[in-house]
Amino acid sequence: MFLPFRSIEMTLRISAVEKRYEIAALNATVHALNGIDITLEPGKTLGIVGESGCGKSTLARLIVGLESPSTGSVDWNGTKIENLSRNSLNTHQSAIQLVFQDPYSSLNPRQRIGEAIAEVLTVHKLRQGREVEARVDELLSLVGLATDLKSRYPHQLSGGQRQRVSICRALAAEPQLLVLDEPVSALDVSVRAEVMNLLIDLRAKLGLTYIFISHDLAMINYISDYIAVMYLGKIVEYGTWHQVANHPRHPYTEALIRAMPDHTVIGNPESLKKTISGEVPNPINLPSGCAFHLRCPIATPQCKVEVQKLINVDNGHAVACMEVSR
Amino acid sequence: MSLIQVSNLSIYTSQEPRVLVNDVSFEIHEGEAVGLVGESGSGKTLSALSILGLLPRGVEATHGEIRFLGRSLDDLDSESMRKIRGSEIAMIYQDPMTALNPVMKLGDQLMEVIESHPEVGELTIERVKEVLRDVGIPDIERAINSYPHEFSGGMRQRIVIAMALLLSPKLLIADEPTTALDVTIQQQILALVAEERQKRKLSMLWITHDLGVVANLVDRLHVMYAGRIVESGTVKEIFENPQHPYTQGLLSSLPSPRGASRERLSSIPGVPEKPWLVGSSCAFAPRCSFATDKCRQELPGLSGNSAHKVACFYPLGASR
Repeated sequence: MFLPFRSIEMTLRISAVEKRYEIAALNATVHALNGIDITLEPGKTLGIVGESGCGKSTLARLIVGLESPSTGSVDWNGTKIENLSRNSLNTHQSAIQLVFQDPYSSLNPRQRIGEAIAEVLTVHKLRQGREVEARVDELLSLVGLATDLKSRYPHQLSGGQRQRVSICRALAAEPQLLVLDEPVSALDVSVRAEVMNLLIDLRAKLGLTYIFISHDLAMINYISDYIAVMYLGKIVEYGTWHQVANHPRHPYTEALIRAMPDHTVIGNPESLKKTISGEVPNPINLPSGCAFHLRCPIATPQCKVEVQKLINVDNGHAVACMEVSR
Repeated sequence: MSLIQVSNLSIYTSQEPRVLVNDVSFEIHEGEAVGLVGESGSGKTLSALSILGLLPRGVEATHGEIRFLGRSLDDLDSESMRKIRGSEIAMIYQDPMTALNPVMKLGDQLMEVIESHPEVGELTIERVKEVLRDVGIPDIERAINSYPHEFSGGMRQRIVIAMALLLSPKLLIADEPTTALDVTIQQQILALVAEERQKRKLSMLWITHDLGVVANLVDRLHVMYAGRIVESGTVKEIFENPQHPYTQGLLSSLPSPRGASRERLSSIPGVPEKPWLVGSSCAFAPRCSFATDKCRQELPGLSGNSAHKVACFYPLGASR
């Protein structure tokens, strides 16, 4: 019953995507994405990690078709998403679903849980009449929720339950790809692991492909097959989770890993030494050359001038830093 | 000597009496950093606010006593309490804008703090500049003529830390001041706080939901659950030898940021209980895989030695 929703192989190909936002009042341009290339294998999970302003959520919105790239293209099964007609965009959006950080803001507070899920089934014409309710029950138990939650409102649920409902709603559309944007960041620590394990189980059960976006490298490591590290609208490091988590090469990735609070290292004041100084520069005035050079501990004068490209350093492990890739 | 001593503190909502914090006791010695760890609703923030006499309207500390340098804070009138706030005990919050006036220039705001505490002596704008420099604000002359919105979140948190350190308090209470920040900025703030603490021999109460943050920042930890402290001890004891099933569950539900292994995380079933719904039993019993009828009928008290105390009938690692 819950075999992979669709048998066709999916492909998502993001090529040379840039996204700019014009701010008329300031006569300025925000450079949110500055050249992103991603090819996603079906059934795999790509983790995208980065700090606020790195463009990770903009990327999520482009993938689900909520926005179009300024240049470059997002291809879904061979068709450019921005070229899809309204009808096929609907199909696209059912195949790719987005789960947000805060389930409280993505669920309608006046809609009962059962109605919220049934709505997805009817909008996408997946079930009709009596079949709807039976399907809602199936979907609720798929995400580990009791079917009597159907008559409740979002505010009557706990944070973890609400996030399960969001996931359930996304699954109701029978997607191939789930884009998960910080799905556990708003949850209490003791319920995060449960939701993470649910996502891992659903992936295996339904053959889903995930894009898991987070600022939390620990969660990214836990769930991802591949990891892309983003900084100021670019991917600065890419590889398997093992390559990136255990053998990071880019100085930003290294700093990010060392900056993560680690409960497995205790009583070590060394861990409190700051890793990099400065803050993420404003995406309105991008730094010249490598965007990280202002904060980089190993920057050379060359880094101020030369734009860095992702270069393969080891078996698919790619780094955008000439200091470590040569 | 103990700087602050909280004894048997209970906090209730004043309308229908619902308990929010239940019989909490802890102390902070001079120069010591103590962590108060718990999830949302566990009572960690209320416990800290009650030290400053800043409980929100509709919430009251009805039982217990708080002593600061030996004298009871409960007997103080609001004017004496106001003097203590800022000059003896300072607080920083998760959202720096809680403490900053959006329509006042930075220099004026910090001078206002100085002027409202004449008891600390004559301080000038030079003192303001000195503290801003200490916390790493660049271009001080420009900064004191700027408004809070002109700074990034990380810089605002530095400013609030400067404001807290301005009058050289003995105790700094920090309520998740790094939770809203990016990790590299969080790291910078933690490094700054650790350095200032050492330099000024500051005592600290650090409130957080993130065990990773306090692992290297504090000396001792109290773990709160549903309004009570369920485990207390040195950082080493709590992390290496957790005895309460809740603490142990929390620790094993956290993935390591350093990758290495990827074993399936164990998770704690269910959701945290509301303190007022607990009654006289162990609040964690419904989620605990070791719970017996005893746990569902009796309240376990906090027991153990000064290095490690636990409120559990069947502490982990002990012979059963």
